[in-house]
Amino acid sequence: MTDKLSSEVPPEGPPNLSRSAAAHAAAGARMKAFQQSETERILSACTQCGKCFEVCPMTGYSKAPAGADWKNADGKTVVGGVLAVLRREHGSPEALGWIAVCARSGVCVPACPENVDPLMMMRLARMTALGGRGGEKQIEMREDPDYFNRVRAFAKLQLSDDELKRWT
Amino acid sequence: MSEPITFWYGCNVLRHGDIIRSCLDILRALDFDALPVGGPDYCCGTVKDSNQTTAGGMATRTVDRFNALQREHVVAWCPSCHSHMHDFMGKANDTQFAMTYMVDLIHANRDKLAPLLVHPVPMRVLVHRHIGFNEHSAVNQIVPELLRMIPGVAVVEDDYLVPGYMCASLLAVPGAIDDMITGTMGAAKATRADAVVSIFHQCYRELCGLEAQGATQVYNYIHLLARSMGLAYEDEYKAWKKAGAGAADLIGAERIAKVGVQFFERALLPELKKRPTTGVR
Repeated sequence: MTDKLSSEVPPEGPPNLSRSAAAHAAAGARMKAFQQSETERILSACTQCGKCFEVCPMTGYSKAPAGADWKNADGKTVVGGVLAVLRREHGSPEALGWIAVCARSGVCVPACPENVDPLMMMRLARMTALGGRGGEKQIEMREDPDYFNRVRAFAKLQLSDDELKRWT
Repeated sequence: MSEPITFWYGCNVLRHGDIIRSCLDILRALDFDALPVGGPDYCCGTVKDSNQTTAGGMATRTVDRFNALQREHVVAWCPSCHSHMHDFMGKANDTQFAMTYMVDLIHANRDKLAPLLVHPVPMRVLVHRHIGFNEHSAVNQIVPELLRMIPGVAVVEDDYLVPGYMCASLLAVPGAIDDMITGTMGAAKATRADAVVSIFHQCYRELCGLEAQGATQVYNYIHLLARSMGLAYEDEYKAWKKAGAGAADLIGAERIAKVGVQFFERALLPELKKRPTTGVR
């Protein structure tokens, strides 16, 4: 089979890409507004029944910070700590431990009797606890400083110069 | 007339040029005019959970690029990119395209695919499945169905599901990858599978070390579709992984010079040398 494309991205990139800083700022504002709206919806809808925590396959991996009574933690309390993070308050050690190990399995979504979407709750809580939405950083995440350079390097090893130019 | 689509392959699959090339050939054989884009310049931003300003900027830039291409459909390969577009990027940006996941597109065109799968691939395979992502695409059901279309392939039945949505989500959780390896190998042995077949590239990368150890054969589902279609792109990543410390000899000085010897030895070679711990659950 040929590797020649019937259509290609021009070497200079897609056409008509210029966007004003104001347009980018507007998109950023919409993202913030969406995240805030979802946060408020979740805070309003969640009854802290703890079902999402109970069905999560990752809870056993939590390395909750010192002082956490992980073995005796119950879902209602842990979820309450997650909601505290969403309110930009300090999360309990048990809640922060759970947020840190969420792997987006998604079994919490059908388990929730209130259609809260606990997967979204945990994603927003993670962003918040990492300090990604402003505010205090409450959990650590190992950032790989070589992440994108490694991707670029493997691309150079795997793709031809022509493929690099046309495909990336 | 071929339907023009944007094939958004993502970032990390750039370790696997053979998978990208095979996907393109498959899409063209299914009568799509596929335009491949990816790499850091098309990042979805999901890796930047700790900085939503940066993540949002990346998302907006990438959506702008897709809009500028003026193609009605973007077909995603990476589950992270696909779900991030659905959950966040598309909520804050004016997307002038529809999103489809690669597995769904192939499945929707399986009638066209079937006559192309002409070469037998005699193999008993265990599909490496995760719990997550299936709310976006029913990959755990569809990929085995696609594999069963290949003459000679037998897909074993097993109830082992790995937590998370793909292995990348487990990497930051101590012990989770080790448990995944133990569970996967246990399932492969219990079902007497010849090979473990991943759905996602990132899982493939983690599992490749098992073949390097001689524990089991490992493939991505695209590899088996491509083989049955007669596509013969070399899986260099697996060869490098199997070579481990000797990968530099396979890659060659000329290519290594493109990335820099020091960077290769510091940032790439450790990944190629890394081996999973194996065990039976």
